[in-house]
Amino acid sequence: MTKRKMFLRMITASLLRRRSRMLIALLSIAIGATILSGLVTIYYDVPRQMEAQFRNYGANMILVSADDQPLTGENVEAALSLIPAEKVIGATPYRYVNAQMVRSQLSFVAAGTDFDQVKATSPYFVVEGEYPSGVRQVLLGKEVAETIGAKLNSVIEITYKPTAVLSEAGGELNPGATLAGSAEGFNQNLVYVTLTLGDDLTIASLEVDASLQTPEYGGQCAEEFFTSRFLGKALPLTFGEDVDGVSGATITSEAVVNAINNAQVTENATALTGATLSMQVTGILDTGGKEEGYIFMSQEDMAALTGERDRYDVMELSVSAGAEELASYVDQINAMEAGVTPRLVKRITNSETAVLGKLQALVFLVTAVVLVLTMICVSTTMMAVVTERRREIGLRKALGASDGSIRTEFLGEGMFLGLLGGVLGTALGFAFAQVVSVNVFGSSITFQPLLLPVTILVSMVISALSCLLPIRQAVAIDPALVLKGE
Amino acid sequence: MSLLELKNISKIYGELKALDNVSVHVDQGEWVAIMGPSGSGKSTMMNIIGCMDKPSLGEVLLDGVDISKESSRALTNIRRDKIGLIFQQFHMVNYLTAVENIMVSQYYHSMPDEKEALEALERVGLRDRAHHLPSQLSGGEQQRVCVARALINHPELILADEPTGNLDETNENIVLNLFSQLHKEGTTLIVVTHDPEVAEAAQRTIVLEHGRVAREVINEGFIEGRQYV
Repeated sequence: MTKRKMFLRMITASLLRRRSRMLIALLSIAIGATILSGLVTIYYDVPRQMEAQFRNYGANMILVSADDQPLTGENVEAALSLIPAEKVIGATPYRYVNAQMVRSQLSFVAAGTDFDQVKATSPYFVVEGEYPSGVRQVLLGKEVAETIGAKLNSVIEITYKPTAVLSEAGGELNPGATLAGSAEGFNQNLVYVTLTLGDDLTIASLEVDASLQTPEYGGQCAEEFFTSRFLGKALPLTFGEDVDGVSGATITSEAVVNAINNAQVTENATALTGATLSMQVTGILDTGGKEEGYIFMSQEDMAALTGERDRYDVMELSVSAGAEELASYVDQINAMEAGVTPRLVKRITNSETAVLGKLQALVFLVTAVVLVLTMICVSTTMMAVVTERRREIGLRKALGASDGSIRTEFLGEGMFLGLLGGVLGTALGFAFAQVVSVNVFGSSITFQPLLLPVTILVSMVISALSCLLPIRQAVAIDPALVLKGE
Repeated sequence: MSLLELKNISKIYGELKALDNVSVHVDQGEWVAIMGPSGSGKSTMMNIIGCMDKPSLGEVLLDGVDISKESSRALTNIRRDKIGLIFQQFHMVNYLTAVENIMVSQYYHSMPDEKEALEALERVGLRDRAHHLPSQLSGGEQQRVCVARALINHPELILADEPTGNLDETNENIVLNLFSQLHKEGTTLIVVTHDPEVAEAAQRTIVLEHGRVAREVINEGFIEGRQYV
C-alpha cells in the first residue's frame, strides 16, 4: 500500500466514522456552496430573464435614415436581418407628417404606423377605446382630442399639404409634361395616376396606382388593357364618352378619369399630392408623454394622406438584448451602410444596465457574505474538531508525525469536505436557482456545466482557508500529552 | 554496550527541579523498570528518553548520539526511527481499525504495509480482531494492538509508560509475556511503572525520588523468557 492510499484511507475513515461533527462542517460547506452556485446561476441568468421584463419599458433601439436617404421597407429589412428574429420583440415603423384639421385649421403631427407592432414596442400605451383596426380610423393623442374636442367615434377630417411645392404646379400643358393626380375611388380609397403628354398634348403614357382598391375589381384598372384605352386622348376626359369603365369596377374606373382630370403638372414623376381624409376616432391615447400630441393612423391611411408609400421616418425596435449586444448590432448595421442609422434609446438601455448592475452587485454581496459565514462556521467546527482530537493528534506526533504531516492531514480532510460540499452544493444550488427563477421570473433556467468545477473549487478553497487556524492549533499540540495519562 | 545514556541531566522549571543531576545508562537488549512515586520525575525522564522533551542541563546519548541539543523536528525523526511507545491509556485512533492503527505508525515511519501489520497483530494474538475498531476491543486487546504498533517499525528501544496500569491481571500477564518474549529476542525495554510486580519482571529497577535516582536494584529473580499465568 502506498502512502497516498493510506492517507486517503485515514481521511475517509475520519469523515465516515466520525460522522456527527464532520456532518456539521459538511453541511455548512454544502449550504455555502448551494448559495454560491444558486446565486451565480441566477447572476448569469437574471440578465436574460430581465430582458423580457425590461421590454415593457418600450423600444431600446431606433432606426433613422442616414445621409438624407429615405427609410424604406427595403433598407429597414436589410438592417433587421442582422438581428436574430427571435430577439426582435417588436419593430414599429413611424412616418410623421404635419397634418391639418380641416375644421379647426389646427396643425398636429400625424403618425402612420403598424398598430400590431405598436403593442409590442410600446406596451405602456394606455388606449381608451381600441386601436384602429381598419382604414380611415385614427388613434388620437389625449392632448389632440382635448384641443379639438374629439370623442370616441367622432369623425375628423384631416388634410395634408406636401411642403415640397411643385415647381410650375398647375402650369400650362406642354408637350412632354408629366402630370400626377389622384381621386377617391371605391370605398373612398384613393387612386393615383401619372401620365405624360405627347407632342399633340394627348396622353402618351399612363400609369395607374389602384393598389388601395379591391384587387380583383378596381385593381384591374392598373392593368394595360384599361390604361391603353386612354392613350391618344386629349384632356379633359369625359367618363363614358372618351373612355369606358371596366365592368365591375365602375367606381375605380371613374376615379381614374377624375384623377387624370385633376392631374397637375409636376417636374418629376413622383406624385406629391395632398389629400383630405375623413377618419373615425377609435381610441384615445394616454401615455403621459409627447405621443399625446400625435394623431396615429395605419400606414395605409398615411399613404392615402400623403400619396407616398413605403416611406418611414423612424423604426422603433424592441430587442431582447443587453447593452453590449445592442451596441454590437448598432455596429453591424452601421457597417452595412444601407442608408440606415441605428441609435440606442439611452434612457432605456442605461436604466437596464444600471438595474442589472445593482442586482448583480447585490447577488455578489450576498454570496460574499454567505461565503464568509461559511468560513467562520467551518473554521469553528474544525477548531472544535481539533480540540476533540487533541489526544489523537498528540498520539500521531508521538508516533513520529511531523508538523507537515499533521497539516497535510487536516488540510486533506478540509478539502475532502470541500469537495463533497461542492458537489452537494452544486446540485442543491441548481434546485434553489430553479425554484427562485420559476417563482420570480416564471421561467426555468439551464444548467451551466462550468458551475460544477467552479463551485467545487471555491468550496475546497474556502474550506482549506477555514482550516488554517485550526491547523495552527493542531500543530501546536505537544506529543507528550499522551504520556501523562490524560 | 549502552544504548541509552543520561549524563548528569537536570530539568528545571523555574524554582522546581523536576530532575536533578540524574545519570542513568541502559544497555542494548536490557529490560529496565523505572519506579517512583508521583512527582518523583518519572514523567519528565520518560519525556526526555522519548524525545519529547529536552533536559535543561546534561547530555542524552541515544545510540551514541547526543540528542539533548537537537531541534524538535530532529527529535521527531529520532523518535519515529528508534523508539516504540506504549502508553497507559493505550491511545488508538478511534476511527481506525486495529490494523489501520498499526499502519498509521508505518505511514509516518516509511511505507504502510498491511501484510506486515497483520503479522504484527498475529504476534500479539489478535489476527482475528484486525478489522475491529478500538471501541469493539477490550482494554487488554487495545494494549496488545499498541504493543504490535510499537514493534512494527523495529525500534531500538521500546518505552512503555504504565503499560499495565489500566489492565486486569490476565491482560497484565499477557502484556508481560509479550515483553518477556521481546526481551528474549533482544529488544531493549524501558518500562515506567508503579506496580512492583511489573517492575520485578525487569532485569533492573531504577527508583526515582524527588528528581534524583534514589537507588538501583538488580532483580535477582529475573528469569529469561518467563511465562506469566
